[in-house]
Parts: sequence; C-alpha cells; structure tokens
Amino acid sequence: MSTARPGGRIGSALGIPLRAARLAMDGVRAEPAGLVVAAGFYLVVALALSGVWRSAAEASGGSIVGYSTTALVWYIATSEAAVMSLPFRLIDDIGVDIGSGRFASEMLRPASALAVRVGGELGRLVPRLAAIGATGVALGLLTGGRPPDAAALALALPALLLALATNLLAQHAFAAIAFWVLDARSTWFLYQKLVFVLGGMLLPLEVLPDPVAAVARLLPFSAMAYVPARLASGHFEPELLLVQAFWLVAIGFVAHLVFRAGERHLVVEGS
Amino acid sequence: MRALRLTWSSAWQEARANRSSFWFQVAIMVVNDLVWIVFWALFFNRVDQVRGWDLDQVIVLFAVLTTSAGLVLGLMSNVRRIGELVSSGGLDAVLVLPVPPLSHILSRRVETVHVGDVFFGPLLFALAGHPNPTRTAVFVFGVVCATLILCGFLVVMGSTAFLLGRNEAADLGFHAVLLFSSYPVDLYGAMTRVFLYAVIPAAFVTSVPARLVEHFSPGWAAATAAVAVVVAGLGLAAFTAGLRRYTSGAAWSSA
Repeated sequence: MSTARPGGRIGSALGIPLRAARLAMDGVRAEPAGLVVAAGFYLVVALALSGVWRSAAEASGGSIVGYSTTALVWYIATSEAAVMSLPFRLIDDIGVDIGSGRFASEMLRPASALAVRVGGELGRLVPRLAAIGATGVALGLLTGGRPPDAAALALALPALLLALATNLLAQHAFAAIAFWVLDARSTWFLYQKLVFVLGGMLLPLEVLPDPVAAVARLLPFSAMAYVPARLASGHFEPELLLVQAFWLVAIGFVAHLVFRAGERHLVVEGS
Repeated sequence: MRALRLTWSSAWQEARANRSSFWFQVAIMVVNDLVWIVFWALFFNRVDQVRGWDLDQVIVLFAVLTTSAGLVLGLMSNVRRIGELVSSGGLDAVLVLPVPPLSHILSRRVETVHVGDVFFGPLLFALAGHPNPTRTAVFVFGVVCATLILCGFLVVMGSTAFLLGRNEAADLGFHAVLLFSSYPVDLYGAMTRVFLYAVIPAAFVTSVPARLVEHFSPGWAAATAAVAVVVAGLGLAAFTAGLRRYTSGAAWSSA
C-alpha cells in the first residue's frame, strides 16, 4: 500500500493524483493479457462496424455523405479507439463506489478525491490507448489503405487525447448522480448511447438528419468521438480542437462542482 | 427439475425484490435497444438496401437478437460468469449440491437489465416485424435456436477457463458473438462470413433466423436446428469435461 509523502497543499494536490496515475499505469502494464483482450475486442468491433459502412459506401457508388470507403474505415477505427480506450462501465463502477461507501474513504486523502480518480483512470488509459491505437492504425492501413490526409491525421492524435480526457471527466460528472440516486447502475447504458449516436461513434454526424446533426454538434458528445474521427478521415479542420478544448474545461468544471456538492451530500449507508 | 425451477424462481424474485429498480433497469434497456433501431433507421435512410438487407429485415434480425440475448443474459445470466467462477475456484458451492452443476449455475441468477431485452424483442417483432401466423412461428423457432446456440457457445467459451485458468478468452468470445450477431452476416467479407458460420456461430444466432422469417427454407431451418443442438451439446460436453480438471479454490462462494 502506498502512502503520500508529506508536503505542501499544492504538492499533495498534484502529487497524489500523479502517483495514482503511475500506480494505475503500472497495474495495467503488469497484466498484458488484459491489454490483449482490450485490443482484440476493439479489433472485432472496429472490423464489424467498418465493414458495415464499407458495404454502405459501395452500395452508394463509392462514397456516402462525402466520406469515401477509405475515409469511413479511418473514421470508424478512430471513433472506436476514442471510446473503447476507456472502461465501458466506468459510470457503473463509480456509482457502486459511491453507494458502497468506498468513495467516502477516499475523501480522507489530502487531495481531491475526483482528481485522484481521474489521475488513476488516465494512468490506466495510457497503455490501453497504446495497444488499441496501434491496432487501429494496422486496421486502417490493412482494410482502408493509406490515410486520406496526413496533416489531418496528425491533428487527430491530440484530438484523440482531448476526446478521452473530456469523456473521462464527463463520465465522472454523469456518475455523480449516484450521490443522490441510490440505484443509478444502469444509467451508463444511456450515456453510452448518447456517445454512440450523438457523439458520432457509430456514424459520422453528417449521416444524421440536418436538424439533429446541428444539435449534436452543439453537445459535448461530439468532442468525444466525432472530432478525432472526422480529422482522421481526412478533413483538415483544426478549429475542431478548440471546440474540444472548450468542452474539456467546461466539463471539468462541472465535474468539480458536482463532486463537491455530492461530497457534501454524501450519506454513507455502511460499507 | 423441481429444484432447478425453484432455484430460478428464487433468482427471479431476488431480481424483482426492488420493484422500482427492476422497472427502471428494464426501461433503460428498452431505451438502449431503441437507440439501435434509430441507428439502423438512419443507416437505411442513406442506403435503401445493402447486400440484400433492408430496414424491415434488420428489424427482424434485431428482434431475434434482443429476445434470445435477453433470455440467455437475463434469465441465465450466470452463463457469462462461468469463466470467472472457474478461474476463481468459485464452483465449490455448486458441486456439493444434489443438482446438475451447469443447470444450477444457469438458473441461479437473473440480470434485471437484460430482462428489458426479453420485453423489447417480441414487442419489436409484433409492432414492426409484419407478424402473421407463419412468420411468428418461424420467429419463435429462430429465437429458440438462437438461444440454444448463444447459451451453448458461451458455456463453451466459459469452459475454456478450465484449461487456461483465465477468463479472458470467455470475455472475448462473449463480446465477439454478440457483436457479430448485431449485424447482417452478408455485410462482412467472404473470410469473415466463413468464420461467422463455422467458428463463432454468430450467423446462426441472428442472420439465418431473420432470413428464415422472410424466406422460409426447410434446408436452412434444419441446418439451424442442427447447429443449435450441436452447439448446446458442445457446451454441455465442454463443461462436463472441464469439471474433471477443476480443482477447488477452497473458498465458499455465491455461485
């Protein structure tokens, strides 16, 4: 069991989450079988979905809503990587920890419990993203061919990191419902579906009817899958990174406020 | 048989103990399933037909999938935990009971959220599957076969933990069969299609039953029934053979 080094308030506030990140990263790296499964599952999902869109593009004369077959493969490879690099049931897990009282014990640390949790998840994310990202690039090259635009693909990497960080914070903000609702376990299904459709994980937002697509672009979910996928599919639109940065800050702030309110409200039912 | 019926009945009552939570979770799954229907509606709004599949056929495919997956993952939800129970030595509690271990495990736990699928699938077929007596009979036949195949395959995958001592293969098999079953098999490339008919029987879980509802073929119906019997039998054989290798975890569990 690790202990925090004594230090100033600021040192603890940053040091403990960083230490949590490092420990979590080491934990994931020590279990390579888990990484293989994650990459394998990603491969299955991305293969299946990109196959569906390739068939659709072929049936429509080689492109659909402005995306060529190659662009669609890179779109799906990236959108799936953006979502699948994070644990599926994170919202459920956080809810269980809040409901069981485990989260209350984390509040005893001399650092923000939210920051420590986010730090740990970021640490877990790094090796998963490396495994899934490498698989995604191989999938894109082998089934789609060369990426449509190298400059846009270069932008997709920071966009992917911003997408993951935004999604991570949003899941924490969403899971905070467990502070007030005892049985919020299944709400992760709903969150997931919002990212799937309005976030553009299953389909480019251009496929949606125009009014729905316009609304989807105004919501934070598009920053979590659509933006990096749009860039990787050859659309050089650097302004999309600014949209992501905005949502990262906004959702981070909301998560901070909701957790602070939740911690005040917390009633431990026994653990 | 009576013991198993009572076991399942108590699992069902346990799942329904908190009524509001039960219906909330059922509703969540129904909404979840509806999102997939929205996805397919949007998809076929852009392309009328892909490799012989249109929206109506995909709706039948999805009705078969949700009903059979709901029956397996909802009403026999421990089927997903076989690998975990084996690798953690958690079968001890079952082995001392005077009932067949596999049947007991399968009937011991009900997963509420997947019960939503059991409601959704038949309702979807009734509302959008153009039911008539023949189509309904074939739909029921397809669901029965799909349920047997899905259950048998998951038991086989879970039983790999007897050999490997780990649960990862079972996990991957679970995700793969469900995922590949979610899309019409003809959308995949030739090699993948062979794989989905011969290795992971996803084609027989949804695509073949859905096609039978549209265009019934006695030959394909017989093949589907045969695959269902074989895969279910393989599940039983794999679990029985695996039990001979099982070594106790010396831990009392909640299997």
